[in-house]
Amino acid sequence: MHSEPLDPVIHAPARLRIVATLATLPAGDELSFTRLQDILELTPGNLITHLRKLEDAGYVSTEKTGNGTAGKTTVALTGAGRKALDEYTQALRGLLDGL
Amino acid sequence: MNAEPSTSNSATADDGGELDPTAAAAILAQATRQAKAEFDPSPPWRLVVIAFVVLLAYGSLWLSVRGQHPYSGPTAWGLVVTFALIAVLIAVSASSARRATTGITGPSVRQRRTVAAAIITVFIAVYVFAGALKHLGVDPAIVSGVYPAVGLLIIGGAAGAGLAAAKEEWLDLGTALAIMLAGAICAFAGPVGVWLAAGISLFVIVCARAAVLAWRRRA
Repeated sequence: MHSEPLDPVIHAPARLRIVATLATLPAGDELSFTRLQDILELTPGNLITHLRKLEDAGYVSTEKTGNGTAGKTTVALTGAGRKALDEYTQALRGLLDGL
Repeated sequence: MNAEPSTSNSATADDGGELDPTAAAAILAQATRQAKAEFDPSPPWRLVVIAFVVLLAYGSLWLSVRGQHPYSGPTAWGLVVTFALIAVLIAVSASSARRATTGITGPSVRQRRTVAAAIITVFIAVYVFAGALKHLGVDPAIVSGVYPAVGLLIIGGAAGAGLAAAKEEWLDLGTALAIMLAGAICAFAGPVGVWLAAGISLFVIVCARAAVLAWRRRA
């Protein structure tokens, strides 16, 4: 049985959790960096590293407003990110069905 | 709370090279379940609390009118208990909703505020209309009995059903229709019995909704 390869950008525990968390929000909604960090219990540096990889692939978008301590960063899953997660889930199902 | 995150990257070995499909599926399911629980403003346990508070409120109104001949409507103590319970309910709901939506911005937040404003408007309109009925000299059995007990259920249920149908939220639609139908049927219980019938009906409907939500989370 032929199975699609798993998207390497999503196929990493932390990035999989980031994408799955953001995908539960309705399309167009954004989540603050700090709330995402609280939910995933990742260090800021670790979360930034994974967000950059996802952003480079076009799967998430980040937006900064304000400066310094009053500044706020929000993160959202893009349409491409939502599609990539759907395809990843399908590919995962295909692999598991074949086991 | 929303301070700018540091831009200094820490190295990570989390490249997924050793992640097998079974473990990935487990992570995906666990993360989705956790996120849904985090962002849910009405978790099942809170719905059960709401069901009990509603039963207590309607029950206290029923106790306050039981045995009235002729019917004159809920007594002052019955109304005080009910308003105190409603205040508790609003405080618990607001706190839970605030916790669930912390850090979220976007269309769904604006939509939720609009829906809340619509619900408050429906609530006010239902009881302003009751005032008009009283002013027109309608029988207390209707003005202080059947209408306040089920008017909000029928009108609020209809408004909720419309919103749920537009959003294709089938559980919300089922809940709203059940509330509306329960309100219409409970009206047959008369000005005294309607309070108890409406309280028990709402208790059963809200508990059923909580059970369905809890089952969906486990599935």
